[in-house]
Amino acid sequence: MIGNKQRKGIMGTKKAALTAGLACTLLFTACSANSGAGEEASGGSGGEGAKEHVTLKVEVFDRGNSPAGSTITDNYLTKYVQENFGKPNNIDVEYVPVPRSEEVEKLNVLMASGSNVPDIVFTYDPNTFNRYAKQGGLTDVGPLLDEHAPNLKAFLGEEVLGYGKFEGTQFAIPAKRSNVGKYASFIRQDWLDKLGLPVPQTTDELYETLKAFKEKDPGETGGQVIPLGMTIASAQYEPLIWSFIKPVSEEERHTLTQQLGSNDYPTLLPGFKDALQFMNKLYNEGLISKDFGLDKDKKKLGEDVATGKVGFYSEDDINPFYEKGSLDTLQQNVPGAQLASVDVYTNEEGKHAKPMYAPNGMYIMIPKSSERAVEAVKYLEWMATSDNLFHLQNGIEGENYTMVDDIPVAVENPSEEALNRMFNSGDMAIVSNGKQLGSMEKNLKARALQMPKKFLEQVEAAQVIANADVIEPVLMDRPIEAQTKYGTTLLDKFNEMIVKTTMAKPDQFDGIYETMLKDYMASGGQAILDERTAVYKEMQAAN
Amino acid sequence: MGWIVYFRRYWQLYALLALPLAYFIIFKYGPMYGIQIAFKDFNFFQGIAGSEWIGFDAFKEVFAMRDFYLTLRNTLMLNFLDLLVSFPAPLILAIMLYEMKTVWFKKLSQTILYIPHFISWVIIGGIVYQVFGTQSGMINNIITSLGFEAIPFLTDKNDWLVTYLLVGVWQSAGWGTIIYLAALTGINKELFEAAGIDGAGRLKRIWHITLPGLKPTIVVLLIINLGHMVSIGFERPYVIGNLAVREYSDVLSTFVYRIGLESGQYTLATVVGLFQAVVGLVFVLGANYTSKKLTDEGIM
Repeated sequence: MIGNKQRKGIMGTKKAALTAGLACTLLFTACSANSGAGEEASGGSGGEGAKEHVTLKVEVFDRGNSPAGSTITDNYLTKYVQENFGKPNNIDVEYVPVPRSEEVEKLNVLMASGSNVPDIVFTYDPNTFNRYAKQGGLTDVGPLLDEHAPNLKAFLGEEVLGYGKFEGTQFAIPAKRSNVGKYASFIRQDWLDKLGLPVPQTTDELYETLKAFKEKDPGETGGQVIPLGMTIASAQYEPLIWSFIKPVSEEERHTLTQQLGSNDYPTLLPGFKDALQFMNKLYNEGLISKDFGLDKDKKKLGEDVATGKVGFYSEDDINPFYEKGSLDTLQQNVPGAQLASVDVYTNEEGKHAKPMYAPNGMYIMIPKSSERAVEAVKYLEWMATSDNLFHLQNGIEGENYTMVDDIPVAVENPSEEALNRMFNSGDMAIVSNGKQLGSMEKNLKARALQMPKKFLEQVEAAQVIANADVIEPVLMDRPIEAQTKYGTTLLDKFNEMIVKTTMAKPDQFDGIYETMLKDYMASGGQAILDERTAVYKEMQAAN
Repeated sequence: MGWIVYFRRYWQLYALLALPLAYFIIFKYGPMYGIQIAFKDFNFFQGIAGSEWIGFDAFKEVFAMRDFYLTLRNTLMLNFLDLLVSFPAPLILAIMLYEMKTVWFKKLSQTILYIPHFISWVIIGGIVYQVFGTQSGMINNIITSLGFEAIPFLTDKNDWLVTYLLVGVWQSAGWGTIIYLAALTGINKELFEAAGIDGAGRLKRIWHITLPGLKPTIVVLLIINLGHMVSIGFERPYVIGNLAVREYSDVLSTFVYRIGLESGQYTLATVVGLFQAVVGLVFVLGANYTSKKLTDEGIM
């Protein structure tokens, strides 16, 4: 009996070892089988049919919001593309998902891997585009556009295409923005009404209003009121900060601005310190959230707005008005709550100065290693031709939209199927940011009409505000290398500067500001300043 | 015994060895090829082999960066404090668990202690925010409702340090007990009985039997920990850190992430990585040498 048991024990170990060994073998064969299949597939696609059948790989942002039944690489719109573009041209369009929140990191990895890189990639980050172009990793699309893409060129126009040039060569195809307005501000109208206050018109009036919100707590939050909703994301701090920037000369504008990532930053422009000082005052008087420096992704702000704690804040212009968005939720939580679009921050000249978008959206690029550059350009050309873009952006007439005055209006209460059809529409129609209907006026109208009807008035007001008194991005004649190199680091330092100076005790403000600015300059700020000054001189000499 | 016979008899052991061996070859030795990036002007599109050699230029650049020294200091500081606070914690916990006589309660405590280890840092970050926030954190809500001033656990650098360390203890101490508990089972029970008969109390037994029994384990773990002095996990400082306390929370791993993955300067990132590896090696060898001299225990 005992012997038997022992025997079994040994058998047991043997079996275990065998299983482990088998698992190993399986693992290895699985790997090699996999790569073998891959080769076969790519080899097979070359020699099939009379006309050459090829695969075009296209990057697509994955926001993790695919409805049940579809995936980001297989859904209504990918099938639509395959049917209408792929089939007639003998092309298999394959989508390569990249998580939206880490697009640059993932793209860097893809590009460095060499063989797996898609034929069409894109990024919003100009520094990434400049880096790729400088390292010689991109296809010159100029000649390809001339030969294969007349519609695309006409659609984008010279100005937008100019953003895709690197030292004179067309290394990227920039997407076109349908709307360049960026920010608006929002105030709790019902709080104003309750306190009998007018809508503040200037920064000073806003300050008084915020104080009233704090003292009188019209939302009855039980001391939890956040008069000014602030975060460390640009939509909240940029409108405030830029309104403090003093009028500058052409030269100062070009040399003192620092472009970090896709936005211009006013670190060195006159007035920046005043902006920080104002934020410091707001913080120390308890008018902004104590934890604003932790809120990078605006999550906490969204929560606080929706639960009725926030009195005033700035945001991307139509952001609060989405179906089930901040205002929708707020009105469910706090019956009678009203959010009015307002333009408050005022600069020295009495203008509501705020940044705008450049006319281009993301940079669409074709890696040099791609053998499908022609097909890639054809894909973009197809998208810009006749009503293909319209279809990608609007879906099916009658189910997704109806035409009213030449403008597609979203169908109210669309079916689940119709709604799911368009979940990735913005990320598929890569040649455009936002709906394109031929004119800015129509674009804005269409944009407003796709929002919930009950908020239409506020949406339209917000769009007007976002386009009023805008500060144009500064264009340099050639890319600033120091910006490419130090941009990410400096953006962190810039945000840190805001957080630390804002949270400083008032008497320590100057000291902290000086230290932080010194650190900023030493970490690349000075290098950017020097290079921009040099390039500006070149630009002057050239004119 | 010829090697063929030998291999036939013991081949299962080699099969078992294959997997860990493959792991080391693929994930530890293979990537060493990439170390040369530190000495090259790495170009994405030329690949490692095609990039140009630049000697020690990148090292000079890194050693001239202020952030490098800041993050190095923070890494050493956080690790050192962690060693002081988090290293003894599992040891004490393990001894307490070992002394516990009620089996069901012991099992229950162990399970509860292990749980945090299995929670991802991203989730812990969210919990920390909810619990320690200044404006709306759970603890501060209690503090302010009692009429006291809120404590900026996350936004004042010194308070943050305490938060960081305690969260670390909470997350890892329970799991860390496993290795000590395993070592404790190796101690001869008769020693305890004999000591009990001789009149040794609980503390005396712990001091004269348990701790000496654990000494080799403690030393090995200490050496391993010292080897990690210059390397620091990415998630914990990245998730718990924030801009207000960047002075303390920015460490080498977040620095590498920023200049490497976010800015695409792989050469500089590799330099920092190589630097960490070399200093880590020096620490391990140094600690091993000292330990051998002092206690005769070591890992090689």
